Amino acid sequence: MRIAVCIKRVPITGGRILLTEDGRAIDTRHLGFTMSPHEECGVEEAVRLIEANKGESVVLTLGPAESVEQLRDAMALGIDRAIHLQTDGREWDAEGTAAALVEAIRADEAAAGPFDLVFFGNESADSGGFQVGIRVARALGRPCVTGLKKVALDGAGVRCEQDVEGGRDVYVVLLPAVLTVKEGLNLPRYPSVPGKMRARSKPVAVTQPVRPEPRLELVRLSVPAGQGRQAESLGTGAAAAPAVVELLRRAGVL
Amino acid sequence: MSLIPAFALAAALIAAGVLFTRRAVTLYRLVRMGKPAARFGDVVRRVRAEAVVVVGQSKLLQRVVPGLMHAAIFWGFLVLFPTILIALIGAVDPHSTLPWLGAQGWYALLVDVFAALVLIGVIAAFVIRKVQRPVRFKGSHLGEADLILALIAGIVVTLFTWHASQIALHLNDYPASWAPISNALASRMSGPAIPYVERAAVWAHVLIILSFLVYLPYSKHLHIAVAAINVYFGRTRARGRLEPIDFEKPEQEVRFGSARVTDMTWKQMVDTMSCTECGRCQDVCPAYATGKALSPKLLIMAMRDQLMEEGPKTLTDHSHVPPPIVPNAVTDDVVWDCVTCGACVRECPVGIEHIDHVIDLRRNLVMVESRFPDEAGTMLRDVDRSSNPWGRPGSDRMQWAEGLGLRVLQPGEDAPDVLFWVGCAPAFDERARKAAVSTAKLMLEAGVDFAILGPRESCSGDPARRMGDEYTYQRLAGENVATLNGAGVKKIVTTCPHCFNTIGNEYPDFGGRYEVVHHTDFLAGLVRDGKLNPAADGRTITYHDSCYLARHNDVRSQPRELVAAVGKAVEMPRNRERTFCCGAGGARMWMEEKRGTPINHERVREAAATGADTLAVACPFCTVMLDDGVRETGAKMQVVDLATLLHEAVERRRGQA
Amino acid sequence: MNVVVLVERDSEPSRQAMTVARKFGDALHGVTIDEAYPFAPDAWAAVLEQAAEVVGASAVFAAGTERGNEVMARLAARAGLPLAANCTSATPGDPVTVTRQRWGGSLLEEARLRSPRPLITVAPHTVAAEAGPELVEVDVQLLLQRLDPADQLVRVSGHVAPQAGGVSLAAARVVVSGGRGVGSKEGFTIIEELAGLLGAAVGCSRAVTSAGWRPHSDQVGQTGTKVAPEVYIACGISGATQHMAGLKGAKRIIAINSDAQAPLMLNADYTVVGDLKEVVPAISAEIRKLKP
Repeated sequence: MRIAVCIKRVPITGGRILLTEDGRAIDTRHLGFTMSPHEECGVEEAVRLIEANKGESVVLTLGPAESVEQLRDAMALGIDRAIHLQTDGREWDAEGTAAALVEAIRADEAAAGPFDLVFFGNESADSGGFQVGIRVARALGRPCVTGLKKVALDGAGVRCEQDVEGGRDVYVVLLPAVLTVKEGLNLPRYPSVPGKMRARSKPVAVTQPVRPEPRLELVRLSVPAGQGRQAESLGTGAAAAPAVVELLRRAGVL
Repeated sequence: MSLIPAFALAAALIAAGVLFTRRAVTLYRLVRMGKPAARFGDVVRRVRAEAVVVVGQSKLLQRVVPGLMHAAIFWGFLVLFPTILIALIGAVDPHSTLPWLGAQGWYALLVDVFAALVLIGVIAAFVIRKVQRPVRFKGSHLGEADLILALIAGIVVTLFTWHASQIALHLNDYPASWAPISNALASRMSGPAIPYVERAAVWAHVLIILSFLVYLPYSKHLHIAVAAINVYFGRTRARGRLEPIDFEKPEQEVRFGSARVTDMTWKQMVDTMSCTECGRCQDVCPAYATGKALSPKLLIMAMRDQLMEEGPKTLTDHSHVPPPIVPNAVTDDVVWDCVTCGACVRECPVGIEHIDHVIDLRRNLVMVESRFPDEAGTMLRDVDRSSNPWGRPGSDRMQWAEGLGLRVLQPGEDAPDVLFWVGCAPAFDERARKAAVSTAKLMLEAGVDFAILGPRESCSGDPARRMGDEYTYQRLAGENVATLNGAGVKKIVTTCPHCFNTIGNEYPDFGGRYEVVHHTDFLAGLVRDGKLNPAADGRTITYHDSCYLARHNDVRSQPRELVAAVGKAVEMPRNRERTFCCGAGGARMWMEEKRGTPINHERVREAAATGADTLAVACPFCTVMLDDGVRETGAKMQVVDLATLLHEAVERRRGQA
Repeated sequence: MNVVVLVERDSEPSRQAMTVARKFGDALHGVTIDEAYPFAPDAWAAVLEQAAEVVGASAVFAAGTERGNEVMARLAARAGLPLAANCTSATPGDPVTVTRQRWGGSLLEEARLRSPRPLITVAPHTVAAEAGPELVEVDVQLLLQRLDPADQLVRVSGHVAPQAGGVSLAAARVVVSGGRGVGSKEGFTIIEELAGLLGAAVGCSRAVTSAGWRPHSDQVGQTGTKVAPEVYIACGISGATQHMAGLKGAKRIIAINSDAQAPLMLNADYTVVGDLKEVVPAISAEIRKLKP
């Protein structure tokens, strides 16, 4: 079995997001980094499937040189090798990202065989375009099911569950397929240190794709004005309870 | 000289010798199989420890009555040692003894006196065990102890009987008047049976000793051989320092703590062999005292038992893999209950280093098996990715200092005289903040040339290290050392005893050598120098010693100078190096207590019982734990950091002027 | 000029999307998803593509709901066009300028969209729906009959009922939510108690699900459930942007925290500074006094 997972390096923001001087990026000087939360679950799922079915897993990312940290994190969880599409740090839009990933996936499949599954996060934590996985699936000519909370191999296909109002919708598609998943799919394992050490020497193939002109191009970022919430104090400690209850009564929920 | 006794003695000696030696060799080979531990340097300190702890019985005497009881038996054993040889000779030939020594009156006196002391000691021990029945023996093998005491009593009683009957038969080479007790006993002996009594006594004496010898390496009495060795090889470097793991080695050669008894270091193996099950560690353990699963004594006993069970199997069959220590000998709960307060290590008379065992068990559980309480996992991930246990962005580290006008050291600038290391707690916890604010204001007032690193600080790594995640710890330590060295920092003041301990005692292993001073020490110095002038008021203050200050690092008097400068001091019973943990150490700040009563409540009760209106602290974690404790128990006290108390006192003086 | 809009029946976000769509043309053609058919996203993308071709649409719009974003992304992929998802505003021109949400709405991006046929989804509850001229309904049935079988490969084939018990988080009128400050799995008992008294759903922050104290289905936030209750009571939650992204729709946020400076305390409607372990039971006690 061969499975690929695509991830993206994103900063870990806290309560306030600080921007750079020119307002075109987040100030990440004192921030930690991770792969998007949905993708962590994708990586974990891929590792579990290969553990159960034998085979090979590959993690791919399009990102700056530092993204190799996230590739090593994925390999520490158990992914076998990585492909790094290295950028110069400038942002790529969804179309460009998908195109570069498609090329890398096709090249790897030509060399090592088709991927039964390619996992994506439903959307990245930062740009949230909701489309890279779908674009890649279309280009590869494979069925795509999105927003998944449960994935199970079922004969020659895969049975997937997607959260909707009032339960979950079930989709069944044949392999090879592309799946975009959401956090909650599983609880990712904590990587062991031997795993992290082994990951240091697992292979990372680096290429430098040419950045196409983005058709959706970032001009400037801004922090939205607060919704005007006034933070009115209702009191301190247990003594504030009557004021809270009065508020609930006025809101019509009691 | 008759041949039969000679042969009989030879046979007995050979039998006992073989049985003893076989077991001793097994134990030795076990220890040789242990993983390396660097305990061969610092010879002067080691010899000094032998003199003070072993010969001087210093740790045992921390509890006076049992200490004296044991000292009597131990010193007695030392003095009486040559009498074993004398007895062996005497068993063969009643007319022979050790040349020279056997004839010395002064030695006979010493023997009488110390034999009596040993007997008194044994009786005292029985009284303690049977009448007083201290709680610390819960879980210990009492039957075994009784047997050992009975054997010791037997040795001494047969010795007196032999000497008395020797004197009655005029067989003694030493002047009888120099052995008053034996002499007095001798005068009560009469009749034709005495020669038989004399032979019976000496042979009984020899046989008891030889049986004891055989029994020794199978029982906890092994400590008489091993404890002195264990004390010699004890830690000589800072108490709060843990031994780093070398991750640069190939993965198969890295020791990730202890999964099985075969992973233990030789020192840890000797630790387990030294345990006498005395229970002093159990008595002072905050976890045990509040109903948790952990008892340091039972932990060491369990590891010893598994080592003795599985170790020999590995010696005979190299492919034998012992079962994992956790959960077979020791449950997960026991490993996580520990707050690394060090009270157990301080009490242990035979130099067992319980914390090292717990940390090594944790290292395996965390780094290899990823097996730990879930909420601690969140903390570890946050420390790893966001460089602080709260998972907040580094850019938020400056918020606490808004409006204070502090200098933030920028890359490339010259280092100030003092770097104020803030730590994560004051940056991200609102209760811990106050101490940092007060300290900063006081340093500004005193005109200290200082700066903070602001967002360039990463977590010191202590919570990760105490949880056993040595890998993350070393990464953070490396980052911080690079930042501090790059800035040319020489002197660091910090409000957090955990940062204080790790930066001062542990960072040197990673290239970071700085003079690290706790804020109470630094502020006390400023007061002494007259740079800060507090005015005391009538409040009664009881000061809670932080474990990482008072016990691991001997910072005890300086905080008390501050207490005296701001109010009236009243001490809790468990103070200074006997302090009782607040419950946050060992990364337990981030773990829930699932059974028993909360450790912080226990300490707050003790504080409230002093009647003081203020509970002074010197640590951000103690602040949070004890404040929680005060709120949850409804105690009528205020928990305040010494820096804040000092600041108020300085303002008060200014107000009076 | 004609604009095509993907419509979800009786959906306020769809009406909001139409409001923005009107800036791009005077005639709105609606492709309304027929719930009678098992949902097949590629099929609806194909229908949209056809409809846009037929009317020569100057732009295609949809609400930035799960369905909306999914169908529009498939349309973008098959048509080889860029897609600007979750926009809070869009202005026609060459290029089109949009403002779209990043980080679940905690950050805004101003961007230029260069496309022969702009594809835009409108972030729910960021634009007020305005009444306007009637939609022209596209004959969806006709287009559905002409579908390529390949577009029906991905299709709902079954349904799983939700776990029994509890009030659904997304639909709840009141949510009582706990964060790291709750301290433990057992600590949530007081949260559940208050929720029970209010007929509320229980929510939590990501720190809580990572610690394994509550299932992911309880998680409120950017990668969890987005809620829109009348009242959201946050207990011991610091308020990372990840969590705040799930609260945009809440009408009133009451934050209870011992840290007055926590981000959620600064971004709430009402605050109580205190230990949630004292405050929450006190609120429950007050409520019991009212309805014994």
